[in-house]
Amino acid sequence: MLAGLHVRRVEVQADIANGKPGFALVGLATTSVKEARERVRAAIKNSGLQFPPKRLTVNLAPAEMRKEGSALDMPIAVAITLAGAGKRPPPRTAFLGELALDGAVRHVDGVLVAALGLRKLGFDRIFVPAADASEAALVDGLVVTPCASLKTVVDDLLGISIIEPHVNGEPAPGTQDDTLEHDLAEVHGQEEARRALEIAAAGGHHLLLSGPPGAGKTMLARCLPGILPPLELAEALELTQVRSLLGDLAAGRPLEWTRPFRAPHHGISMAGLIGGGSGVAQPGEISRANHGVLFLDELAEFQTPVLQALRQPLEAGRVTITRSAGSVVYPAMFTLVAATNPCPCGWAGDPVRTCRCTPGAIDSYQRRLSGPLLDRIDLKVSVRRVRLDTLASEPTGEGSRAVRDRVVAARRRQLDRQGFLNAQLKPARLRKLAGLEPAPRRALERWADQKGLTARGFHRAWRVARTSADLDGAENIGERHILEALGYRLQDVAA
Amino acid sequence: MSLPEEPELRARGRWPPPLGPRVAIVGSRIPSPYGEAVAEQLGAELARAGVIVISGLALGIDAAAHRGALAGGGVTVAVMGTGVDIVYPAAHSKLAEEILAAGGALVSQFRDGTTPRRHNFPARNWTMASLSDVVVVVEAAEGSGALITAEAALHLHKEVMAVPGSVFSPLSVGTHALIRDGAALVQNARDVMAELGVGQEVLDDPLSPPKGLGVTLSPGRDGILSHLSDVLALNAAEIARKLQLPVAEVLGRLTALELDGAVRRHQDGYVRALRSDKKRA
Repeated sequence: MLAGLHVRRVEVQADIANGKPGFALVGLATTSVKEARERVRAAIKNSGLQFPPKRLTVNLAPAEMRKEGSALDMPIAVAITLAGAGKRPPPRTAFLGELALDGAVRHVDGVLVAALGLRKLGFDRIFVPAADASEAALVDGLVVTPCASLKTVVDDLLGISIIEPHVNGEPAPGTQDDTLEHDLAEVHGQEEARRALEIAAAGGHHLLLSGPPGAGKTMLARCLPGILPPLELAEALELTQVRSLLGDLAAGRPLEWTRPFRAPHHGISMAGLIGGGSGVAQPGEISRANHGVLFLDELAEFQTPVLQALRQPLEAGRVTITRSAGSVVYPAMFTLVAATNPCPCGWAGDPVRTCRCTPGAIDSYQRRLSGPLLDRIDLKVSVRRVRLDTLASEPTGEGSRAVRDRVVAARRRQLDRQGFLNAQLKPARLRKLAGLEPAPRRALERWADQKGLTARGFHRAWRVARTSADLDGAENIGERHILEALGYRLQDVAA
Repeated sequence: MSLPEEPELRARGRWPPPLGPRVAIVGSRIPSPYGEAVAEQLGAELARAGVIVISGLALGIDAAAHRGALAGGGVTVAVMGTGVDIVYPAAHSKLAEEILAAGGALVSQFRDGTTPRRHNFPARNWTMASLSDVVVVVEAAEGSGALITAEAALHLHKEVMAVPGSVFSPLSVGTHALIRDGAALVQNARDVMAELGVGQEVLDDPLSPPKGLGVTLSPGRDGILSHLSDVLALNAAEIARKLQLPVAEVLGRLTALELDGAVRRHQDGYVRALRSDKKRA
């Protein structure tokens, strides 16, 4: 059974005794599991097997754990038929699957998660619905038996006819599809935002794009996954686990190799964004965006509590959700790209159209954005609309692949130096790992002096400068890196 | 349209002000450095010549005019769109105190406790026009509130004057339209004094062109400065394109210039500063 990405093992015991025929299911089963009684009874009968006409007790152990989900159908049916035949189940073998009334084995969510967990618990064979076999087969060292129907499972266990284990065919997982849906080569102008994207990708920094409607903020954000390095196998597995839990995997393509891009609408609820729901919490958008990009358009329109709930996962790279059925932890390592208009009408600072907002309205709009969340965004860029005559010409910027090569190299420098990305550099580590020479230090301090930089702002610029230096292949942060980093900030409208 | 020429006013500070010509200086809330510098110098020169400078205490041109008048050692009056007890925007509390301390006044036609309401501001603009002998508009985009003041002034048979700007700037659309329609063109405070009929008065320091930057640049940092304008903001990407330089480098150099006080950053890009930023702090 699954609790988030955690696997709990349930032992199904069946006992057949003389007495008045009946079927008791004990062991803290919730409604979905209690219904298994009827499905199992029908499935066994309709598979041409005998349902023991005796007093039957099925126990789900450990008894104190709440059991949920239809994946227990198959183990219950198997336990009953084996008990009826007087046989013991094979050792270190697990079963999961939902049964149809005719005995067919139906898909269940989270097979990959279950298979990984069971492997860790020491199981070496797993019976899964045939539809989910390729998912389970991603796990090394596990024999995967695809089950089409209860009858074939029982025949296999009784040695009547053996089911061939499922092995994923070639191409082996590991070949990434390298076609990019959105390529920076298609972006017109926007040099500053492109550079900010490159830095965001290289250092894992979060990014805010501010600009009027139609400036291309969404297009820019969509280009970010394409300049991130290709996924590692472990990352791909983690991604696939979350999608497996949600039953969201494409058939025939077991492993998820593309970096996610999630763009939830600003009306999203807390549970939708962070994760939640009744019973065991389901992963939210931030976990779906794991190892990829979470794009929040119209940032000021999101409910404040929802945005505030983002803070913990932004710091930790994972999220802990507690519900009545227990706590679960989901991964949430994503790059946040937020977009906003500069003011309620969207046209403040536009060279052509006039903003009609009062200073008060602009003020309160920007105040909604300020505070703890904005503090965690290292890069802020204002995006202008591109002139129509530029749009008509061929874009001249680099393509995503060229940018990605630099990103990969810059990330390698960071990982070699400190084992993590620059965005994670806390002040103490900054001092230790990214020391400043006198000239850049002077520039930063002079700026802090003149512009009243907060401590957080000071460290933000420092971190970004480190990434800029890494993109340069520079050992030390130079003055120009600090100066560049100080440029990635927004200006109040009422300057 | 008819409004009482002088609606009943509540005031803080010295009201009515000392006798003398009254000039309203109004304009954009988001002016260019050029407009801001013009408003400030006009305010200072007029105040020095004994003119009472009237404006609306808003951001941008209004604040620059008040500040200029204070710097010129004169009396300035803020006509507010809120109750006189509510300073709006709140960031101008200190400016309001300075106006009072210098013998000026905050006046309003609205009851005490009136909070900023969009529809109150046009009425305030009428009041401002009615209190002034001349209205000078410095930078007003199409549809700007300053144009309401100008219109009110016409209805009230007051003189309307306008400061010209760059033909490339949207902030010139309103002022140039006024000039086209017959508003007198203002190049310096002397023009305004002439309109007031006191041109013969001694005014030995006409509004002079900006005296330069008044800042010392670190060596080697002036390269991109000549590509910046004091009216039209350019962003780093546009400058990088123009100079064929990497945007990262341009951004860094702009920040360095900002540190030296030679450029200022606006919502939509960078402009040359006409005076050192430190003065404003």
